[in-house]
Amino acid sequence: MTDLGRTSLGLVACLLAGLVAAGDEVYLKVTAPGLQRLVIAVPQMPIAAGVDSTAAASFTTALRDDLNMTAVLGLLPDDNARLVEIDTRNPVLTRQRWRAVGAQFILAGSLIAAGNQLTVDVKLIDLTSGEVALARRLQAANPLAATMAHTLANELVRVFTGRPGPFLSRIAFISDRTGNKEVWIMRWDGGEPQQLTSHRSIASAPAWSTDGAWLAFTSFLHTAPELLVLKPSQGYLKTLSTLPGVNSSSNFSPDGRWVAFAAAAGGATEIWVVPVASGAPERRTNLNAISTQPAWSPNGRQIVFTSTAAGSPQLYVMDAEGTNLRRLTLDDEFADEATWAPDGVRLAYTTKVDGRFQIAILDLRDGRRSIVGGPGSNESPCFSPDGTMLAFSSNRTGRRQIFITDPLGQPRQITRDGANQQPSWVAQMQ
Amino acid sequence: MTRTSASLVLVCVAATATWGCAHRNRVVAPEVPQPAAESLPIPAEPLPAGGAPATRVEAEPGVVAATRSESGVTGSDLPADVEAINRAGILKDAFFDSSLSELRTDARDALAADAQWLQAHPTVRVTIEGHCDERNTAEYNLALGWRRANAVRDYLVSLGVAAGRVVTISYGEERPFADGHDESSWVQNRRAHVVVTAR
Repeated sequence: MTDLGRTSLGLVACLLAGLVAAGDEVYLKVTAPGLQRLVIAVPQMPIAAGVDSTAAASFTTALRDDLNMTAVLGLLPDDNARLVEIDTRNPVLTRQRWRAVGAQFILAGSLIAAGNQLTVDVKLIDLTSGEVALARRLQAANPLAATMAHTLANELVRVFTGRPGPFLSRIAFISDRTGNKEVWIMRWDGGEPQQLTSHRSIASAPAWSTDGAWLAFTSFLHTAPELLVLKPSQGYLKTLSTLPGVNSSSNFSPDGRWVAFAAAAGGATEIWVVPVASGAPERRTNLNAISTQPAWSPNGRQIVFTSTAAGSPQLYVMDAEGTNLRRLTLDDEFADEATWAPDGVRLAYTTKVDGRFQIAILDLRDGRRSIVGGPGSNESPCFSPDGTMLAFSSNRTGRRQIFITDPLGQPRQITRDGANQQPSWVAQMQ
Repeated sequence: MTRTSASLVLVCVAATATWGCAHRNRVVAPEVPQPAAESLPIPAEPLPAGGAPATRVEAEPGVVAATRSESGVTGSDLPADVEAINRAGILKDAFFDSSLSELRTDARDALAADAQWLQAHPTVRVTIEGHCDERNTAEYNLALGWRRANAVRDYLVSLGVAAGRVVTISYGEERPFADGHDESSWVQNRRAHVVVTAR
């Protein structure tokens, strides 16, 4: 939050759009006009005897950090919380006092020890009605206290949006920090980076299955590029396509049964689909051009992709069977790397402005396009699974790095080691 | 074709710091910055035996040069191994305009000479590597590099080289020849690189 939000108590829950000055680099206005960021008070929870202090601190810190990072929820600032005098005999008056400092909900609870486990009992209370909006008892081994906090934060977001928060989500990406381009994964905020491949070749464009069980990517491991799928939980690697050509830019169907990708037909590159279980690739386009970067719509019925069928690279959409082809972008010099928002009505893609890549958002309901101009070259957009954040890569700080949008829709760098690119975001890894 | 050159040729022994390990054994046919300029190939510097430092040959700006020796077209004096053939730079690369895969006149000239040499050495097999500058997205460049490599293969085949001798692969922007971020590097990176894989 900005200082403005912190200091004007009556405006803590003001419109996010109002906090962003004109000309700022805002990618997503996730709080549509009229929607407000809800402020939750999270007073220090009583800690019972026997609770592991490290686990308790880890839980509390993770929960507060998470709540500060969402676009739909905000944590009541400590300075405001300190003003509240709690009267245990008069809960109605206490609720009024919380509301007076800007809170709309309160998360009350306690931490209890159960052997080597930490148990958390919490209630989310609506400060206006006094109703319990959510009641949960969570238990986990002490070392998993932070994961338990992320689970709770996800549930809190779900109460207000219908979709869980990003706090257990993972971003797969390509990093050259070992000297070769390998597939890596990290927490959504850049924490816990983990190397998944050690092929010492070229890996590119990782893509999650929606359930987080599989990652598809392109690999030059066997000289010519192949389409591989990896099950990170088991380290199981399987080849999906060795078609001639590029076997690139893969994307899972929402049901996880198919992978769409680009591969050659002669010197042209066309869109193909291949079953994940087993079976031969099937061609879906016949444009005799460069067609690449397919992305399945969230309902699985359409595939958006890039094609040079009319000259420059532009976005096209077709039914998943390859029929009903039509062009989506008309005003761009270059349009590529389209990705669907989970709502199925917006696309983020990479366009070119003055020779630099920039992220654009296209609303399919009215055809309106907005280009976000940021420093450097910005490309490879990817929505968070709940649609409230965007990840992309940018060279604004030197080498290419991955950025995600913060609660105000503005970018925040989450990688620093080596060059990092091509983010793919999944709600939870299996 | 008898050709001479008054141009300066810089022969840098491979301590050149900007040269990545991926290109350690390449002799780079110099870029042709002005397609209309007359082609003036220059014999390459004599090469050390395998394992010795690689050699990079550069032309002075604006002057077209090449590393191909016209005298080396008979089978008997073919270097002993494919690495040596590639280091000798006998086969020339084709260069492209930004975002395009159409063969320029200078590319056709280079490939015509390549085709002639390949027909004189019918056992030689080649891989055409498609490369791109960084000004498109990585995945698009993979497809563009494929198109470039295949345009070169199709042209070689049209000139009589058996299709079975030519394999294509695209590296997109993954293996740049020059690491800079300006036109002087990009022009080097938009190419189909002809690599001998069997002699």
